[in-house]
Amino acid sequence: MDMFNAGGPEVSIRSLKKDSMKFVLSNCDLSVANALRRVMIAEVPTMAIDMVEIESNTTVLTDEFIAHRLGMIPLTSFDVDRIQYTRDCTCTLYCPNCSVELTLHVKVNVDIDEMNDATIDKTRHVTSIDLISSDESVKPVTDDKAHPILIVKMRPGQELKLKCIAKKGVAKEHAKWSPVYGVAFEYDPYNKLRHSHYWIEESVESEWFVSPNAQEETPPDPNEPFDYNAKPEKYYMELETSGCMKPEDVVLRAMTIMQDKLGGLQIKLDDEVTGEAQRWGY
Amino acid sequence: MNAPDRFELFVLPDGVKKLTITPDTKIPNAATFKIEKEDHTLANMLRMQLLEDPKVLFAGYKMPHPLDHYFILKVQTTPDTTPAHALGNAITELIQTVGAMKNKFEMDLIRARAFEEAKSNPVGDADDLSSHNVDMDF
Repeated sequence: MDMFNAGGPEVSIRSLKKDSMKFVLSNCDLSVANALRRVMIAEVPTMAIDMVEIESNTTVLTDEFIAHRLGMIPLTSFDVDRIQYTRDCTCTLYCPNCSVELTLHVKVNVDIDEMNDATIDKTRHVTSIDLISSDESVKPVTDDKAHPILIVKMRPGQELKLKCIAKKGVAKEHAKWSPVYGVAFEYDPYNKLRHSHYWIEESVESEWFVSPNAQEETPPDPNEPFDYNAKPEKYYMELETSGCMKPEDVVLRAMTIMQDKLGGLQIKLDDEVTGEAQRWGY
Repeated sequence: MNAPDRFELFVLPDGVKKLTITPDTKIPNAATFKIEKEDHTLANMLRMQLLEDPKVLFAGYKMPHPLDHYFILKVQTTPDTTPAHALGNAITELIQTVGAMKNKFEMDLIRARAFEEAKSNPVGDADDLSSHNVDMDF
């Protein structure tokens, strides 16, 4: 164990809410903290609509426009471990083991009396709550029933009927699979390490505000010489999820993924080293 | 069209090795590791951990091209060890670090959940407590 990591990393959770959390990571290298951030954004699997079969669309939006909008709708993914990736599944296109089906059918009827009354708003808002899922654990995130996600607006006489196939995936393939809307990552709020270069006219202090995280750090002493050996110590992380899973689960899953990544490489390295030894007859 | 498949970024094709070691022909105790279907996430972590090792004389990585999804890691060590051994140690160390980080997170999570729980249902009022006791079985 090297000196820097003596005692190992420390975690302190500052706030924990339904779809966001803040925590401080300390006593670990910047590369590890950044890896955690990167994995949370791009490698934690979730569910998202990936294929859309449109049976009828007489709305003003084109099929592909609607399909794209459907893909962006966050789906609850706390049970995602149960679902396989389609590429690892034995089926040819999709099956219940690797996908979830969602259907949508909205038809706005024409009411003659209503049509003649200009005071009535006849626009039908088709939203994420119109999507009917075949699986109770994978359905559009409806945090607030009053504000579901709008897909398309329809007028009387129009119809939209389609079937969506939601699949498991990671945001490395498409950002729609990202479990997080944002991850804030900050260290060294006083810029003592000089990793940031501020654009200024006269002085940094008067032109740039100091982040609230600076309360946890000691202000720099202007007479102190620059410590070029200093390393970042505390990483202030804040994440907001799409509502597809709990924020703490995103962090825990990301850490598990990091472990799997490293563990997998360790095995491959051992194979390679023992293989080499056998080739040379050791 | 001619767009590459997006899964090429992270799916290892059949017959491709995740890791290949090429010993350096000119520098003693040096090797180049080629790691397929990984990016800066892993590469930078490994590089920084390798540099913590006093037996590692050089460690650096690069992703040669943004459309190729692999990175190369060059390591040179002192004569009493090998680059593969140093990399093995670095990985072990990182697994421990991430494991410890996960444990610490889980531990603090228990505390944070209890705190949030207490905040959402305050039991500070005396009235509240007494009304609770009525239905209690002793």
